[in-house]
Amino acid sequence: MAERQVDPITLSVVRGVLETTQREMTMALEKTARSSVFNLAHDYSTALFNHTPEMILQGQDIPIHLGSLIPAMKAVNKFFDGDINEGDLILHNDPDYAGSHIIDTCMYYPVFYKGELVFWTVCKGHLTDIGGPVPAGYNPEAKEIFAEGLRIPPVKIWDKGVPRNDVLNLLLTNMRARRDQEGDFNALIGACQVGARNLIALMDKYGKDVVQDCIEELLAMANRHMSGLIAKVPDGTYSGTAVLEDAGHGFGDFDITATVTIKGETCHIEIASPPQIPYFINSYEGNSYSGVYLGLMMFAQLPPPYNEGLYRNVTVDMGPKGTLCNAKPPAPHMNCTTTPMETLTDAVRLAFEQAAPEKVSASWGHANGCNIAGWDTRHDEEYVTMVLASIISGAGATASQDGWHACGPECCFGALTSGDIEMLEHSYPIIIHEYGLMTDSGGAGKFRGGSGTRWEVEPLDRDMTLITFGEGRRIPAMGAAGAKSAMVEKKVGRLEVTRDGETRIITDNVIETIRPGERAANINPGGGGYGNPFEREVQKVVADIRNGLVSIEGARLDYGVVIADPETLTVDEAATAKARAAA
Amino acid sequence: MRSKYRLGIDAGGTFTDFILASAGGEVQIFKVLSTPTEPTKAIRNGLALITEEAGLSAEEIVSNSDLCINGTTVGLNALITHNGAKTGLIATHGHEDSIEIRLGHKEDGYRYDPEYPPATMLVPRHLRKGVSERVISDGSVRTPLNEEDVRDACRYFIAEGVESVAISFVWSVLHPEHEMRAARIVREMMPDVRLTVGSQLYPQVREYTRTSTAIVNAYLAPILQRYVEAIDAYFRELGSKHPVRYFQSNGGLALGKVVTDQSVYAINSGPASAPQAALDVGAPWDEQNIITCDMGGTSFDITLTKDGKANVNKNIDFLRYRIGIPMIQVETLGAGGGSIGWIDEMGLMQMGPQSAGSEPGPACYGQGGERPTTTDANLVLGYLNGDGLVGGRLPLDAAKARAAIKTYLADPLGISVERAAYGMFTIVNNNMVNAIRRVSVERGYDPRDFVLMGAGGATGAHITALAREMGISKVLISKLASGLCAYGQIISDVKYNYMAPAPLRLQGADAAQTLDDLFNGLEARGRDDLAGDGFGEGDISIRRTLDMRYVGQVHECTVEVGSFAVTETSLEDIKAAFHARHRALYTYDEPHNAVEVVNVESAITGHVDKPKRMHIAAGKGAASALKTHREMVFSADGVSQNTPVYDGSALGAGDVLHGPAVIEEVTTTIVVEPGWTVNLHETGTYVLTADASATRAAVAKELAEA
Repeated sequence: MAERQVDPITLSVVRGVLETTQREMTMALEKTARSSVFNLAHDYSTALFNHTPEMILQGQDIPIHLGSLIPAMKAVNKFFDGDINEGDLILHNDPDYAGSHIIDTCMYYPVFYKGELVFWTVCKGHLTDIGGPVPAGYNPEAKEIFAEGLRIPPVKIWDKGVPRNDVLNLLLTNMRARRDQEGDFNALIGACQVGARNLIALMDKYGKDVVQDCIEELLAMANRHMSGLIAKVPDGTYSGTAVLEDAGHGFGDFDITATVTIKGETCHIEIASPPQIPYFINSYEGNSYSGVYLGLMMFAQLPPPYNEGLYRNVTVDMGPKGTLCNAKPPAPHMNCTTTPMETLTDAVRLAFEQAAPEKVSASWGHANGCNIAGWDTRHDEEYVTMVLASIISGAGATASQDGWHACGPECCFGALTSGDIEMLEHSYPIIIHEYGLMTDSGGAGKFRGGSGTRWEVEPLDRDMTLITFGEGRRIPAMGAAGAKSAMVEKKVGRLEVTRDGETRIITDNVIETIRPGERAANINPGGGGYGNPFEREVQKVVADIRNGLVSIEGARLDYGVVIADPETLTVDEAATAKARAAA
Repeated sequence: MRSKYRLGIDAGGTFTDFILASAGGEVQIFKVLSTPTEPTKAIRNGLALITEEAGLSAEEIVSNSDLCINGTTVGLNALITHNGAKTGLIATHGHEDSIEIRLGHKEDGYRYDPEYPPATMLVPRHLRKGVSERVISDGSVRTPLNEEDVRDACRYFIAEGVESVAISFVWSVLHPEHEMRAARIVREMMPDVRLTVGSQLYPQVREYTRTSTAIVNAYLAPILQRYVEAIDAYFRELGSKHPVRYFQSNGGLALGKVVTDQSVYAINSGPASAPQAALDVGAPWDEQNIITCDMGGTSFDITLTKDGKANVNKNIDFLRYRIGIPMIQVETLGAGGGSIGWIDEMGLMQMGPQSAGSEPGPACYGQGGERPTTTDANLVLGYLNGDGLVGGRLPLDAAKARAAIKTYLADPLGISVERAAYGMFTIVNNNMVNAIRRVSVERGYDPRDFVLMGAGGATGAHITALAREMGISKVLISKLASGLCAYGQIISDVKYNYMAPAPLRLQGADAAQTLDDLFNGLEARGRDDLAGDGFGEGDISIRRTLDMRYVGQVHECTVEVGSFAVTETSLEDIKAAFHARHRALYTYDEPHNAVEVVNVESAITGHVDKPKRMHIAAGKGAASALKTHREMVFSADGVSQNTPVYDGSALGAGDVLHGPAVIEEVTTTIVVEPGWTVNLHETGTYVLTADASATRAAVAKELAEA
């Protein structure tokens, strides 16, 4: 074995302390944040960077942020060009400086040790509002980023330990529900402090140089790990194309193509996407990194910890500036962390499925959810929030098991929690009539995709504004290894608005007013299946029928299983054999 | 203690421990193997062992005992093996799936793992029946209960052979009438099933938590009922004059009837008695801030007690099931004597959580185990006696330990066996330190303000190293350490938790009045229940907590307040307590922002008189207990030094010795690192104190240079 620069035992200890540090930052953030989007959806990241700045630990938080903090930290560092002092604290959200979308606010806290910049503790969280014309920021009418909210380039909100209250006031004055936004700023700052405290204790214990050597080795190890996985894939060029459906912009469906070239231990990923459009689904480069890295992780399937070393042998070309996956100002972008990110992820995943079919799992249901806003007469104050329960879709099946129910969307990969319905009804003047699994929604396969969900809401005493975003309402989550579904309409999402006894199905992104007595149901897609559904064990299909996950008709159409008696669920063996043979 | 004896029985995963205290002040430990499939058998075996060793018949002990106390793992085992009762759920229509949706979450650490399965549903989807009914967030009825829906559900359950039913409706905590009406229908139609009603078992806001808690309870109730009936009958047969009391996860005792109705309180009860034992062992020094560490063969359990009160957890995932009821926080880590050392995919050495268990066991047991374990490392480092553990009943093979470490760790890493062994020791300690942070730092406590207490057979080898890493300068280890939890149970009190939802903002006279009424109502119920169990007003104490948050936050923090009258004025004290707790936990507070309460709770304790503490004779000086010397390693460079070994049974009160040293007790070995001084106290407790050279900085320097 190669000679080591660092003691392997100290290395294991340092690794443990870094993970504990990140965990404690996460706990602090999660327990104190106001925005349900980041403390329930876990729509935040906590990360540690070294002085260069390279990411030395990424939390197990939401994949939406898997990659985007890496270029963002570098852009922020470059902007200040050495003008970083002890006690500074930097805030930023702008995608032109590699932010994801402007509602995700980042805090960057430089950690000094004996007068020298050694680390950065960084947090990012999805606020409930960032100003602009539409509550919660998702404005399907926006033609430019300026119509979505406040752009914040890197700005110091503490200068050498002194809070810049004028700057903070300027920012907060431009946001709705100021109390909540201010609380979330505090939560982000608190988490950065918790991280800094632990890193300083670590250097006190082992000395700065030993800690830095260990971290360099951890980065190198991550690189060796990922390179080893890539090296096992045969050299060659693999390509995947996923379709992004038109959810209301009128430009039609788009193809996003990922071309993966494997050469020895290296991997180059090239993205081709159409020109950017005046609709909120453009993705700037920082956000697109998250989509590409998630596709890569669906192949690598690595356990934590995660650091930037994983990507040293991975190069990415997002395509020309001004395209959907490499947008430039003034492209509107608010929906980018789900759309087109999930389609971009699918394209990368699909390319890897060609390269390593046994490793890659099926696609997860895409997010198509809603934000709600209105006036809460109980406390005489406005409310605005993204509804997490409205984006909980089914997970993709894998080569060894069915997909998890209600675990998506793909961009969150199970990191999200949707919040207790009683707590939601306590916080907002609404009644949630249903939050349940959807029959026949899991993609058919030898291993079935997880079921999607239905979330139905009614405002209690005032009109409610409901703003939808996302897609996956026409094209179901992609299966893998030959999975396909016959019963497609049950596997996609949609919005159902019921008023005056009539139900309208909406598949575009819209802004709707829902009145008391009316109901809006947001339906989320199931996950993709894995393998030929006609090879699924008949008894598993029967169990799914019994549990209401698959209907008798779905069993016949999707799985070729014919039920003789709907009461006892006995199988018509002959008809089943015939149906399955016919495929 | 009014009677002649008090008997405590703690059934653990491997051993069942018996503690027999006599009115004269004698405290004895006995251990037999657990019999998970037939729990009363281990009790019979244990009583037979006591007869054999102490010459007392089972009848003689039981008929002269004032309290026979039973800590059990039957609930835990049923949950681990999914062998609970066939259970049905009656839920609000539209909300049948909340336990399967689990708030949409997949546990951290498995994000990209394609083989990590979802938790097994304790109630499959077809046994979760929705009924038409709805209460909304202000407690008013939106849709009345459709009783026919309840009857339909019962008919299906009867056809399916359901043994236990849970009822849990949305907002039932603010309007329990629908659940109560449904319960009456179930009792009429299914008189023989066990019934759990969400708003009665766990009257707190949060539908998912309440439903899941009710389901776990319903799933375990028939199992606990059979167990309690068997134990009660067995003890009655032996002539017991008092009912058997059972230990609960909330750290208190309860009657069998309570454990059968509220079975969820009996999960994981064993380790929950550690704080009580710790306070008793620490009492001669008035220690009120204590972290306990209990290391056995496969796991390492930690508890924390601050100002004499143990950390309590609510609303947590336990074995992947959400449980709301308050439980003593027991942080469990897969780190024990059998934990295996391995090199992960990244090339880093790791310890556990896989364990060699007792079969095949560590390599040094010579029972076919090939992988290097913590015990193998401790043997190579010289800490353990090769002649064997448990008084020589289990000899250890050092050559096999060395070979395992060499093959799997030292050679791949290119280091010596001794360095690898010390590395294993360091890493397993570090894992434990990170787990200790979860009960301390994450709860806003600085571990350096605490005393560390060892429990369990394997902790002694690590305890000074852990204290050093945490910056803790005082360690206590009782001679009863290996049965500390059973000891904790016999000195515990009866304790019940009473809860109520209180979703309101903390301002104004109305809010104060509401809270005052709630607390008084809960406590009146508690006093009644305890009075029925023979406790007078003077034996009862109350601990009040409120779950609070800033308006807009999603998670609460639990704050303890005094039992004062809640008025508009004292609301300010409650808020101040919340701001202070928030600051301790998260580095900041927001004194200008509105605070709201979500839930309130009163824990009511009925105090039981305590047996006398252990007392040991004065020693003749440590030198007279010196047994031998062994080569031991105390540094990362792997260099050994000749170190004295003392016979614990020959040491007496007042004896003093200095590290490096090892003290061998029959059921545990205490490693005293360089820089520590040991005093054996007359209560049978070893008091270990660090002097300046054992500080973190000195050791850090040495490690850094290694």
